[in-house]
Amino acid sequence: MSSHHYFTLDTKLGSLHLQATLELSAPWTILFGPSGSGKTSILRSLCGLLPTQNLLPTHRRNLAYAPQNAAIFPHLTVRQNVAFPLIVRHIKPQIDDLLEIFALTALAERLPRDLSGGELQRVNLARALAVPNPTLLILDEPFTGIDRDTRNRLIPILSALTVPVLSVTHDIEEALLIHTAIQAEVIRIDSGRILAQGPAHEVLAPERSQLLQTLTPTH
Amino acid sequence: MDVPALLLTLRLAALTTALLLVLATPLAAFIAARNSIPRRILQAAVALPLVLPPTVLGFYLLVGLGPTTAVGRTVITLLGHPLAFTFSGLVVGSMIYSLPFAVQPLVNAFQAVDPALTSTAAVLGASPLTVLRHVTLPLSKPAFLTAAVLTFAHTVGEFGVVLMLGGDIPGLTRTLSISLFDQVQDAQYSAANRTALLLLAGSFLALLAVYAKPRRPPLV
Repeated sequence: MSSHHYFTLDTKLGSLHLQATLELSAPWTILFGPSGSGKTSILRSLCGLLPTQNLLPTHRRNLAYAPQNAAIFPHLTVRQNVAFPLIVRHIKPQIDDLLEIFALTALAERLPRDLSGGELQRVNLARALAVPNPTLLILDEPFTGIDRDTRNRLIPILSALTVPVLSVTHDIEEALLIHTAIQAEVIRIDSGRILAQGPAHEVLAPERSQLLQTLTPTH
Repeated sequence: MDVPALLLTLRLAALTTALLLVLATPLAAFIAARNSIPRRILQAAVALPLVLPPTVLGFYLLVGLGPTTAVGRTVITLLGHPLAFTFSGLVVGSMIYSLPFAVQPLVNAFQAVDPALTSTAAVLGASPLTVLRHVTLPLSKPAFLTAAVLTFAHTVGEFGVVLMLGGDIPGLTRTLSISLFDQVQDAQYSAANRTALLLLAGSFLALLAVYAKPRRPPLV
């Protein structure tokens, strides 16, 4: 695993001025912030989908990317969708293990229109993991629509990968779950700027104690 | 019924449709992908035959492809004869005349493809050509049928360009619409009636094929 990734972003998107130098040194880094804070724009910039300074187009080549809202190819079956990163690289697709991990084996020959939201999101994650030898796994709200049990089963599987992960969430519980599975770092974002970066239990301390308060029964 | 004219018309329309679909695909991809000044110029140029009198187009093609221009001289050198008053000339004229009918449905279809799908494909490693081949083109399949039917029907019905560029040579450049004109000129009204009815029915059935095609169910 290449342990360090540096990205300098300086992009204006409407009213949002994205200015951030990202240093990804942990095995899993979480971009945390409210809606509209620039989390997805940062991911899209890293993927070369927005004009960004200091980013070579070659970065686009081996990124394992699971976008928000799945973006599953509607004309391809589940198997063809998951195999897509291999097909476009002219590599013989061997994806049975991936289908198994994401509980998609029984759905392999179905078209996306016959799948539920959670199933589509599982296809999205499996397709990202089919990218061969990725340099970075980029997950935008990866567990949206996925039920709690599946999410809890998938987090350790993703944590065990040798590729560094950068994910986006606004869900404190999800961030803490990831931190429990792996020593995750959190980058707190607001208005396109980095407010804090560090171990999840430190950066998310205010939200964590708030969550604990709501969970503690009052007498 | 002028059977040689009917066969020639069908041959012209089939060849024009096949060649135009090949030419229109990259043109439509360029127009759909970029919002730039070259794109607007190209789009306006492609749409010109919609508003230009066919005789004007035919006149420019006749002059432009003749021996007085560099393009015309090159064509004569390559083919050994001028394009005017030949079947090949008719094919070139028909392709230009029907260009918007092939390009516009494809532009609409390419622009309707969700940009999230094409950008995801690119990030997952697909080159722009691979995105076109694996995502944009398969999702635009119905538009190819529309483009083919409209181009075919429009070519069958053309008159001004054919007359200017091809003249009225039986078996070589006389199409069904020219034959109809000749029949009326010669006061053969029952023959003209049959020809007109055939053209009307053909055009109507073509449009029916475009409008009656089943709507796709929502995909995702």
